[in-house]
Amino acid sequence: MDFAISDEQRMFRDTVYRFAREEIAPLCEEADLNSEFSFEVWRKFGEMGLLGLPVPEKYGGSGADFVTSCLAGEAVGHAGVDGGHTLAWGAHTYLCAANIMQHGTEAQKEKYLPKLSTGEWIGCMGLTEPGCGSDAAALTTTAVRKGDKYILNGSKTFITNAPLAEVFIIFATLDKAKKHKGITTFIVERGFPGISTGKPMHKLGCRASETSEVFLEECEVPVENCLGGEGNGWLIALGGVEWDRSTLVAPFLGGQTFILESCARYANQRMAFNRPIREFQSIQNRIADMKVYLEAARLAVYRIAASKDSGVALNPLTAAVNKMYLGDRGFEMSSAAVDLFGGYGYIHDYPVERFLRDAKLGQLGGGTSDIMRMIVARFMMM
Amino acid sequence: MNYELSDAHKGLRAEMGKFCREEIAPGAALFDEAPPEEAAARMRSNLKKLAGTGFLNLLLGEDLLGSCVAGEELARVCPSTYLAAVSSATAFGRTVKRFSTDTQQERYLPLLAAGERIGAFACTEREAGSDLAGMQTAAEGKDGRWILNGEKDLVTNAPLADFFLVLAWTDREAGLERGMTLFLIDREAIGMTIGRPLETMGLRGAATAGIRLENCSVTDEALLGGSVGAGWDRMQALLEEIKLALSVLCVGVGMACMEESTRHAKAKKAFGKPIGLFEGVGAKLATMFTLNDIGRMMTCRAAWAMEQKDPEGPVLASCAKLFTSEAAGRIADLAMQVHGGHGYLKGAAVERLYRDARFAELAYGTSEMQRAFIARDSLDRFRAA
Repeated sequence: MDFAISDEQRMFRDTVYRFAREEIAPLCEEADLNSEFSFEVWRKFGEMGLLGLPVPEKYGGSGADFVTSCLAGEAVGHAGVDGGHTLAWGAHTYLCAANIMQHGTEAQKEKYLPKLSTGEWIGCMGLTEPGCGSDAAALTTTAVRKGDKYILNGSKTFITNAPLAEVFIIFATLDKAKKHKGITTFIVERGFPGISTGKPMHKLGCRASETSEVFLEECEVPVENCLGGEGNGWLIALGGVEWDRSTLVAPFLGGQTFILESCARYANQRMAFNRPIREFQSIQNRIADMKVYLEAARLAVYRIAASKDSGVALNPLTAAVNKMYLGDRGFEMSSAAVDLFGGYGYIHDYPVERFLRDAKLGQLGGGTSDIMRMIVARFMMM
Repeated sequence: MNYELSDAHKGLRAEMGKFCREEIAPGAALFDEAPPEEAAARMRSNLKKLAGTGFLNLLLGEDLLGSCVAGEELARVCPSTYLAAVSSATAFGRTVKRFSTDTQQERYLPLLAAGERIGAFACTEREAGSDLAGMQTAAEGKDGRWILNGEKDLVTNAPLADFFLVLAWTDREAGLERGMTLFLIDREAIGMTIGRPLETMGLRGAATAGIRLENCSVTDEALLGGSVGAGWDRMQALLEEIKLALSVLCVGVGMACMEESTRHAKAKKAFGKPIGLFEGVGAKLATMFTLNDIGRMMTCRAAWAMEQKDPEGPVLASCAKLFTSEAAGRIADLAMQVHGGHGYLKGAAVERLYRDARFAELAYGTSEMQRAFIARDSLDRFRAA
């Protein structure tokens, strides 16, 4: 066992942290308040090489490993960047670009990765449908091969980045009777005939990210845009979980550090009954619980990243444990942060209000906590 | 970064697991109702057997991660034996190993590692637990000797221990950080009396009693490391290691609860299917798994930090102890629920584990004290300039 990071990783993390703190974070609270995606934030992500973080350098990316990607994510969250922009970043990089990087043909990689890596194109992934979320194998979007094209029909919902996206990773079924073995993945461009997106949804949290439905009506996709071969969509979706449970949640982990620091500063300076509130045990308890959570959550995230970097296949049990623990306990800790700030925690001027709203997604997105418990229980009952 | 155990530690775990299942597990339930002499004899024999595997020597050494890995296997089958072993080899033994003179090392450690003799650590008093300022036990220097007077309470291993590490004032005026000293006192020392074994709720195999020191007269040889006034710092070092040991205890108890519950959830049927296939029971199993899994990582993380002499070690050890001890309580509660009425009966493994689980939230710094310590560390980092 070795929990240390390399000097190179540490330097990269610190550089990202400083840059995000000085250049990006100041733009974020207002963007969240207005539920507005900031292209300036996006450009700065791109400038720092974050949008193609794991993408090999020959395709215009930064060629980072999992641990380094997590460190960058943690640094950005720690700097105080809101959950909306980090979610947009994560969906773009890990759900869209990383899928093309892992499963794409050489031609697909050359075509899509360079512009995704700079951020000139924004990417998204469409798996969830109005009628199926956690039960993704029940999806109903169809794909039919017609000559040198596939014709896609159906709709997707809750798709992060969809209103802004140029590149869509879409899951559809070639044969519903084959259940998950019929699921196939496609790279769809906004310019293809028959694809459109809905109006951005008004969300509880992660507000600066834009989320909408995606409609596919007789959408024509060239055969060369099938990603990873027919019938392999389910495996691609499962593989995405590896990113989802580590790199994608790393900014949230950093956000928790940011919140702990905000709480500690506030507790040191806020007075009540002639003493700083840090002297009250109920305040200390919250700080301590946040710190314990942070240590636990960090171990959980980096365990997956480290094992991915050493080439070990993701343990689905571990992945589910991470998702549920980070999500559930993370939300409790965000709520504790609001309690610590009292009335000030309930207004937007302090970041804890925003963070509480953002944190709720941790229990829902990418498989609910309920589903995670079912997955773990199923393994235990085998 | 690498979260995998080394091959050596994996081998250690497998060997220790096998030994514990074969040699220790069969007697684990017998501690509960056994008369004190019988329980003491069984514990002596367990410690002797453990010494034979090299486990006590491992606890005395610098491979903290290895101690955690092997220790979990023991705690899983017999939490009482684990607590007795670490009270002797970690609380007493490691402290002697780290801070004593060569003569003291030779006198105590080989016998301890061989399981021939047992150690205990005596600190708590009726009026002084987390707040040591209220401690009464004092050693007075007189004619080249030290005369100790006072009473210690809740001393794990006291009924069977041969050697005691006793915390006493040597200079009350000098305050906590300068005025306390650790003494090495033999069971046979004149003026030393061991109280009757106390009836504990759980961990009943780890015999506990108070001790009384009445004009107990010792020479400078009894001063740990030959020094006066270093008691506080050494206590902190001891506490850091014992917090880690308690984390291991809790993960072991949690694992045992989880295994019993999983077995039961597979075997017991209701409404035509194993109860574990119902979402409500399944979710409890999943929670147990999660808490054990993360608790073990936190324990290993703290052990690693301590091995690296990372200044974060004490805080991480507190985080691990706080997390795992509260997790063990919760897991034991869930295990009871999964077992239903049959878990509530004397003789049920989860009934014993439920009582065993409660200890670590109280011992060597209550959860309240851990939180205060952890919070102070974070708060102090972010004071306004």
